[in-house]
Amino acid sequence: MAKIEIDGRTVEAADGSTVLAAAERAGISIPHFCHHPNLAPEGTCRMCVVEIAGAVKLEPSCATIVREGMKIVTASPRIADARRSVLELLLADHPIDCPICDKAGECRLQDYCRDYGLSESAFGENKTRREKLFRIGDRLLLDRERCVLCTRCVRFLRDVAKTGELGVFERGGRTEIGIFEGIPVSDGYSGNLVDLCPVGAITDTAFRFKTRTWFLEPKPSVCPYCARGCLVDVDIHPGFARHPETGGILRVRPRPDATPAGPWICDIGRYAWIETESRRVRRIVWNKEDREAVLSGDRAFALLGARLRALAETGKGDRLTLVLHSGLTNEEWTDVAEFLGEFAGRPRVRIADPVEDDGDGFLRTSERTPNRRGAAASGVEILPFHPEDDCPHTDLLIVFAGIRGHLDFLERCRPAWSGIAAKALVSPVLTAADRDFDFVFPCAIPYEKSGSYINCDGRRLEFSAVRPAPDEVKAEGEILRLLRAEVRRTAEGR
Amino acid sequence: MSEKNLTRFFATAAPRALEDYLRTGGYEAARKALSSMTPAAVMEEVKGANLRGRGGAGFPAGVKWGFVPKSGEGPRYLCVNADEGEPGTFKDRYLLAHDPHLLLEGIILAGYAVGIRRAFVYIRGEYEELARRLEEAVSEAASRGLLGENILGSGYSLSVCVHRGAGAYICGEETALLESLEGFRGQPRLKPPFPAAVGLFGKPTVINNVETLTNLPGIVLHGAEWFLGLGKLGDGGTRLYGVSGSVVRPGVYELRVGARLRDIIFTHAGGMLPGRILKAVIPGGMSSTILGPDEIDVAMDCESLAAAGSMMGSAGIIVIDDSVPMLTVLDRITKFYAHESCGQCTPCRVGTSWIRKVVQRMMSGERRPDDLDTLVRLAGMMKGRTFCPFGDAAAGPVLGLIEKFRSELEG
Repeated sequence: MAKIEIDGRTVEAADGSTVLAAAERAGISIPHFCHHPNLAPEGTCRMCVVEIAGAVKLEPSCATIVREGMKIVTASPRIADARRSVLELLLADHPIDCPICDKAGECRLQDYCRDYGLSESAFGENKTRREKLFRIGDRLLLDRERCVLCTRCVRFLRDVAKTGELGVFERGGRTEIGIFEGIPVSDGYSGNLVDLCPVGAITDTAFRFKTRTWFLEPKPSVCPYCARGCLVDVDIHPGFARHPETGGILRVRPRPDATPAGPWICDIGRYAWIETESRRVRRIVWNKEDREAVLSGDRAFALLGARLRALAETGKGDRLTLVLHSGLTNEEWTDVAEFLGEFAGRPRVRIADPVEDDGDGFLRTSERTPNRRGAAASGVEILPFHPEDDCPHTDLLIVFAGIRGHLDFLERCRPAWSGIAAKALVSPVLTAADRDFDFVFPCAIPYEKSGSYINCDGRRLEFSAVRPAPDEVKAEGEILRLLRAEVRRTAEGR
Repeated sequence: MSEKNLTRFFATAAPRALEDYLRTGGYEAARKALSSMTPAAVMEEVKGANLRGRGGAGFPAGVKWGFVPKSGEGPRYLCVNADEGEPGTFKDRYLLAHDPHLLLEGIILAGYAVGIRRAFVYIRGEYEELARRLEEAVSEAASRGLLGENILGSGYSLSVCVHRGAGAYICGEETALLESLEGFRGQPRLKPPFPAAVGLFGKPTVINNVETLTNLPGIVLHGAEWFLGLGKLGDGGTRLYGVSGSVVRPGVYELRVGARLRDIIFTHAGGMLPGRILKAVIPGGMSSTILGPDEIDVAMDCESLAAAGSMMGSAGIIVIDDSVPMLTVLDRITKFYAHESCGQCTPCRVGTSWIRKVVQRMMSGERRPDDLDTLVRLAGMMKGRTFCPFGDAAAGPVLGLIEKFRSELEG
């Protein structure tokens, strides 16, 4: 540890820490563009300059390592003048189009300019016109007029994602960010560039022009799309009085402590909700003799409960097959165990997860579900689902489908289960197999659940619902509890 | 001329072959150092000679070598800065064109003193012919056992690689040179760490200018005292003054450190072109602050020029006569810096390009009353606030021109 003095206060700073980091630990924030805590110091935006006793010039605090006894001043007229001049220079060519910029409200340039009372360009020459809609990736657009050339995006792809698709081209006032020979930023981690961009230069088409950032309420959750369990903020639009779509998800972003590797998430975690949301099921459906009927919750559970009771009462409890997935929370696994404890007989409990791949070598794991460790720790004895072996021994099949990947699987099962007398599907999304089931129950997506997962590192990650599930839509655990109540009615009836 | 040292054998324009170089005492200093001096003794001699870097910053070469860690695993490198890009500067070209072996002998001595076995000569891309000639000299020397393994039977080995730059002024800045040499975009690195500790490929690295290194054979052969005697106290040796502009005999003149600027222009370079009157002088390459005609009695050494509000820089003297409008000078200067800024840091990237925008408009005849104030303001935003010295180099000439020729520029 080094004892240093910042703005007259003596504080301890870790050896090797930068002045900027030491100041932030002491509660003194220093404005910056190019600095990012998870990237190597760059020292080029010149916004974070401070006075260091003994140094002739102002020094960039992001790139200056603390020394024992160092005396630092982070605010003085000289510093203010230097920072203001950086902002004035950045505004010189900037379009200042905040009213139509998606970054407005969370833009460093906007914030700092407000701090320094700047709102227009100070110099009278014509601004340099640059490309405003440069597509650098499938979802990514680069506005070079807004770019402040902090190179965070370049450095992230080079040093963190290690794909290096972006580079700095040309020099001087002609310097620009670009891609090499038309090869765009690959999909794996591209969305992080939007978060990293301190201004509105990089935006994604998923969020562009959808809303103003200040309407959003970030709700903490855990990403359910693989076993990494990245901590995310799900940005919810609480809606307006005269707008019906309240509670809509607009954006998913990594939290500052998203992963031990840094505040990054993969593009699947960031964007897969869009596909999930577009396929949501919100009604309970009864497919009765080729006719589709919509059921109320009470009626649906009574009907399915009757089938369960019928099995139990005829001593055919072992001809019930439950197909589950390891996206269920730890608490839902308890619900599974309690259901089994109540149900007469030994149903087949099977698990069907999306097929594993090799992961991507960075954050995304080979497992495509968030809680396999929780499933294993639940004490419920579970075997993999083999439709050809299991279906012939089944009179009542209840399949819980997860948010993704399970769809292929359902497709593959159709021949095997066509002979089963009664089938129910619990799924958050429409599937190709919906018509095969007598009952289709919509269920909550993971962001609408509260509970916990155990991630690939064995960490228990708790989360709360970011919003309530739609009417008639229940979490899988709640559905199991309702079915258990139906089963218990049998026992009480005896 | 008695002040000549480095260039005393440059009788003709033709480059000197190894035979000629050897006949006039060539590689004797290398022989002396490798056979009878320890590396530490060579370093001490150079420190004692107070050889200041000839690249522009004027940092004492021996002291710079001393920053390289004495011990430590792995290689260390010497980079020869032959990326002579400062406008008005052509002295290294002169040395390379006439006497490549003088540089190679200097490289051997520096390498031996610091314990370096691999040297790179980063030569500006436009010096294509000189690079080829230098490579020939390297093979020539290697074929005689003067480079390569076990030089002159001493057990000391050194190889030299010639690498051509791609035409960026900023690559003359030593850390940008390293980036470029490593194959990256040429832009300066954060300091610290300094190259002496973490340099080329992350290894301890010495970076010296061509002219600096060519002074080493003399120092080793004749001693520090002799070298100090050539120059002035604390600033040893001679300098190659490159004179260009409105003089009768533009060219490179080797004179002692501390020669009077007036004498260089009016005696050595033959004075002003017929009918022209001296209007201004840029004394040390374009980055140095311009001097008026009443300021040229200054001695050409680091301290004296600093005291006069300018700098020694690369000793490239640009002489401007009364027929040249100062706005044209401003135009040329700002065009150069706007073109060459690497664009890495905000003040330099935007500062140089916006100064350029203002000057371009002024050149088109569209003037505004506050133009000069705007330029001063923009230059002030760069001065002392950029990532590397480029910002000062770009701001200084603008501020100097406006300070000294304000009434003309306002006209």
